[in-house]
Amino acid sequence: MTVRPFPHLLLPDLLGARNRARRGERGDLRRALLFGGIGLTVGLALYEGSYWVTGHLLDYAELGDYLLRLGLSWLFLTFLSFLAFSGIVTALSTFFLADDLRLLMAAPIAARRLFHARFARTLLQASWMVVIFLAPVLAGIGRARCAPAAFYGAALLTIVPFSMIPVAAGTAATLLLVNTCPARRARDILVLMGLLFAASLVILLRMIRPEQLLRVESLPDLTSFFASLQSPITPLLPSFWAGETLFAALAGRPDWVHAAALWSTALAAIVVLSAASARWHFAGYSRSQDAPRARFTRLAAVAPLARLLPIAPVRRQLLIKDLKIFLRDVSQWSQLLLLLALVLLYLYNFSVLDLQRIPYMSGFLKNLYALVNLGLAGLVMATLCVRFVFPAVSAEGAAFWIIRTSPIGLGDFLWSKFWTGFAPVFALTEALTLAANRFLGVDPVLEAATSLAVALLSVALVGLATGMGARYPRFGGDPGQVAGSYGGVAFMIQAVLLVIVMMALTGWPASVYLLRQIRRAAAPPPVWPLAALCAAAAIALSLWVWLASMRSGVRALERLAD
Amino acid sequence: MIAIRDLVKHYGRFAAVDGISLEVHPGEIHGFLGPNGAGKTTTLRMIAGLAKPTAGTIVVNGHDLAADPDAAKMSLGYIPDRPFIYEKLTAGEFLAFHGALYGLEAGPLEARIADMLALFELARWKDELVESFSHGMKQRLVMCAAFLHRPRALVVDEPMVGLDPRGARLVKGVFRAMSARGVAMLMSTHTLEVAQEMCDRISIIQKGRIIASGTVDEIRAMGGGGDDRLTAVFLRLTGGGALQEIDEAL
Ligand SMILES: Nc1ncnc2c1ncn2[C@@H]1O[C@H](COP(=O)(O)OP(=O)(O)OP(=O)(O)O)[C@@H](O)[C@H]1O
Ligand SMILES: [Mg+2]
Repeated sequence: MTVRPFPHLLLPDLLGARNRARRGERGDLRRALLFGGIGLTVGLALYEGSYWVTGHLLDYAELGDYLLRLGLSWLFLTFLSFLAFSGIVTALSTFFLADDLRLLMAAPIAARRLFHARFARTLLQASWMVVIFLAPVLAGIGRARCAPAAFYGAALLTIVPFSMIPVAAGTAATLLLVNTCPARRARDILVLMGLLFAASLVILLRMIRPEQLLRVESLPDLTSFFASLQSPITPLLPSFWAGETLFAALAGRPDWVHAAALWSTALAAIVVLSAASARWHFAGYSRSQDAPRARFTRLAAVAPLARLLPIAPVRRQLLIKDLKIFLRDVSQWSQLLLLLALVLLYLYNFSVLDLQRIPYMSGFLKNLYALVNLGLAGLVMATLCVRFVFPAVSAEGAAFWIIRTSPIGLGDFLWSKFWTGFAPVFALTEALTLAANRFLGVDPVLEAATSLAVALLSVALVGLATGMGARYPRFGGDPGQVAGSYGGVAFMIQAVLLVIVMMALTGWPASVYLLRQIRRAAAPPPVWPLAALCAAAAIALSLWVWLASMRSGVRALERLAD
Repeated sequence: MIAIRDLVKHYGRFAAVDGISLEVHPGEIHGFLGPNGAGKTTTLRMIAGLAKPTAGTIVVNGHDLAADPDAAKMSLGYIPDRPFIYEKLTAGEFLAFHGALYGLEAGPLEARIADMLALFELARWKDELVESFSHGMKQRLVMCAAFLHRPRALVVDEPMVGLDPRGARLVKGVFRAMSARGVAMLMSTHTLEVAQEMCDRISIIQKGRIIASGTVDEIRAMGGGGDDRLTAVFLRLTGGGALQEIDEAL
């Protein structure tokens, strides 16, 4: 019997990917073009951006060098924390929760081989985004600095160990977590850790106070601002080593010390982790299986509350079911919580924004902000929709047969999904807009106009998300994956277009109105006919998007039986 | 009763079901037998309204499934081969949800759920998440759900898979009682003893076509006397001669 090297264990993933590519599903080409186009655009923007910034830093000589070095360290520090976190989450699924483990663990595979295969998969899965993001940035820097070819080689040789270290650390953390508490619970803990991570990021941002940069009179303070960034950078972190290695390579000098530190740490981490995994992985895997009686909340209040709503009994039952399933899934509602936290932060920023400093224009500017606000509320709405409304149909998953074999029309089913999504999305975004406009002291007419626009947008976007979710379902995927699927991206693009159109339809009459106010001009052009026209167009457009996508969604559900 | 006529289902150019007709009368348990991949699940899924026939008609208790799906489904119970249920609901919540889908009133439903859970020996688990159920427990829960609305026709796909002997006996008992009350039942199974013991009539399907149909005795007679065990007949009809080769292959 020959023991094949560990990459053999990666074969199912590769074959699966190949088969999927071969089978050529409907919309594959479009999806490839779409994702490819977006990726290319973002990559180009990053490349040009970093080229531009680095080029300008050249003007500052020594200070520029210093800032570049600092910037590199910061860039890598950000990625370091991201990679560690993503390593934890990915390792949990690849090492403990993946379905194929049932097969692999039952097969006679040496622990180390399994570890290497799973770690390679974890590494790729956790770090591809970072690599794709880093590559154009580093290329831009290299071009601006006219770096030697060795710089690009050094970049490659730096990124590999740099991503191995935090992912190994994350995997170790997961191994520890699973061995101390069962995987289902561990998943909940991870989610909370994610929340803490995000919260600390937010606090960090608040401490740096980026809005100071906007103040004209504080420009000379720029250096002290950057100095304040320096404190968290310790020479003991791999991000520092990576930054230094690359900075040296930029000037054509090799920095063997830091490169060696990176590689030796990475390899040592893998050796240690491999031993630890051989020792504890199976115990953890076995523990992660036996969490049958996980605690859960009874949610007894949901049903009586739902009974207060004046809706048909069947729809009420659908609502109760959806609510309970949502609330019992920590990974679901915690993300909503995170989004709420971000929204609050956003509002807080408005309350500290000091518009009075800018003379003459403050009146116009704050009303302009009302429009920016509308756009942001629209984006929040689109995010909510793609993450929570779009996956609603897919969430039925393998249990969809229950609905489909029952005597309920699929239209009823889809409409219940719509209303369940619409109520929270509308309440949240409308409250957000009203609060932000209050903080800013926006003109009451504009306030009313944006409120109407938000109401129309939520009808249209929730309808669009529900309908497209039914047209592009991914039964069995978790909601995050569903949101990132072709249909999710296609929804996002249409949603953003819709938001832009809505902003134009509000902004056009609003700006005419504002200019008249400022100039105190009683003369034409008259505003109200234009406003009425735009409002009518907005209403017609929203209603059309709403009803048309719901209808096509219902039809798509009916076609599922074909 | 369940009546299907000239039912056809194509997956692409492959005909999974190729012109099947059969009738299951009230009070009859109709066995649906055939080798793996013969098209049993596909047929049952079409009757349950999960898949749309390429051609042919399905009538459940007098309601044409294509013309009036809601009425047809209202009087039909379906037990799928793999019991996928909402993992994050408790057994009681799931049944309440399911009952309400079929228009049962809250008060009577409560009592009915308690009865059904007691019948399938799940009462103890009423307030546990389905997530924590074993395969057999999920299977029993699905059966509770299928009987909740007192269907007059029942479609069952491999009911015995995953059940312990006690559970299997229980399910047999329940099915018999149901048919005694006039429920028409179409049941696919691989367990020939079960078919022999429970079914009034049997249809054997292979490659999407019915190759033999009749009462258990009639089917046995088709084997041509001698060995009257259903297994032998089944193997002869579906080309089981190859079984001899097993010895050589091993
Ligand atoms: N969704 C599908 N897409 C394509 N082909 C399918 C699909 N579902 C079933 N088939 C094919 O239809 C045929 C019949 O499958 P079906 O599941 O009905 O068999 P079965 O009689 O239930 O078998 P088993 O005894 O193994 O349960 C098989 O050849 C299968 O490959
Ligand atoms: Mg089957």
